[in-house]
Amino acid sequence: MEAIIFGLITGLAFGWILQRGRVCFNSAFRDLYLMKDNFLFKAITLAMAIELLVFPLMAQFGWIKLNPKPLNIVGQIVGGFIFGMGMVLAGGCASGTTYRVGEGNTTSWVAAFTYALTATAVKHGGLNGLLKAISRFTVKVSPTTSANLYDPKVGPTLATALHINHWIIAIIFSALLFWYVFGTKTTKRPDAKMSWKAIGLWLVPVAAFGFWSSYITGRHYGLGITGGWVSITQMYTQGKMLNWEGAEVLGIIIAAFISALAAKEFKFRVPKRGVAYLQTAIGGTFLGLGAALAFGCNIGNYFTGIPQLGIGSLIAGVCFILGNWFMSWLLYGRS
Amino acid sequence: MDVKVTKTIDERGEVCPVPDVDTKRAWKSMKSGEVLEVLVDYPLSKERIPANAEKAGHKVLAIEETGPSEWRILIQIGGKE
Repeated sequence: MEAIIFGLITGLAFGWILQRGRVCFNSAFRDLYLMKDNFLFKAITLAMAIELLVFPLMAQFGWIKLNPKPLNIVGQIVGGFIFGMGMVLAGGCASGTTYRVGEGNTTSWVAAFTYALTATAVKHGGLNGLLKAISRFTVKVSPTTSANLYDPKVGPTLATALHINHWIIAIIFSALLFWYVFGTKTTKRPDAKMSWKAIGLWLVPVAAFGFWSSYITGRHYGLGITGGWVSITQMYTQGKMLNWEGAEVLGIIIAAFISALAAKEFKFRVPKRGVAYLQTAIGGTFLGLGAALAFGCNIGNYFTGIPQLGIGSLIAGVCFILGNWFMSWLLYGRS
Repeated sequence: MDVKVTKTIDERGEVCPVPDVDTKRAWKSMKSGEVLEVLVDYPLSKERIPANAEKAGHKVLAIEETGPSEWRILIQIGGKE
């Protein structure tokens, strides 16, 4: 019960920022390439630069243990690329699709449905064979470097693989991101409701509270989306108890709905072209398949895994971006 | 606003970034001085499309609210020079 309450609180805060800041990783990645616009990408990168320091600090204090995702080179390359293409087709990444459900976008409802269904099928259902087929590539280690910061068995990180203290790599990585964020030119969006710095800074306490509250209620990980949709699907179809992440996803939808309503931005949006539903249905399927094979989506892998220095999440993150750029080029880039 | 609209595109309900891309494609096919009318219902499109139009050297004549979370954007092609 505590897990559900904590998950819900985290999700409500997360959903509010996602809606107000229009935080969509799909557009953050795509706009870099398509519009030469780095506004959202910088907001997300700023949050990650701080997470890189905050997560190990929390682990140092013993509030959490880092638990980076396993490395699976096949799953993360193939799944990452599929997920990257899926977010373009679905018109939103895992988190973007989720908060748009609350804003009344009917195309996102379709995407969320096929995303949840497919992720559940790969993790626990009829498509589980795919996950089994790649399972022999899965790598987990018992860290010998910075072992005090980690759970006993975790995915390899830059620190455990290079045998360099986690803090040293985290500080260098964070400094590089800070240099990028503040040392390069940022696209101006004077009409945006939240500045990119505000978005980035607001995301950090949510990520930190999420990680802590999820950890102490038994789920050793921070923010995520895919596992939440799987939990909701299993609750609905099998009567299983909702977990922290499932409550978080519900919180995001509720907060996005209230926030959109308050800003007069809620509307049942229906496209003129019926084929848009087919496109988002395929996109959602790609999201579910890709996230399940890569062990996480843009939130679990990119936003929460990379700041733990997880090698699997880094590979998945790069492939998310490449898949996104490829599909953006295919659909919108060629004029 | 009362102007002679040359071309209208209805992007209501469309998936991001279809409205932005369609708008770009539309103004590329139009002549200088012509007016493009874009109907959108997504707040982000209402913010991004005018900003991108200005960047591309067009003039945003008006952004009118036509209903709950619905807007009509009027863009004059090449109007910024």
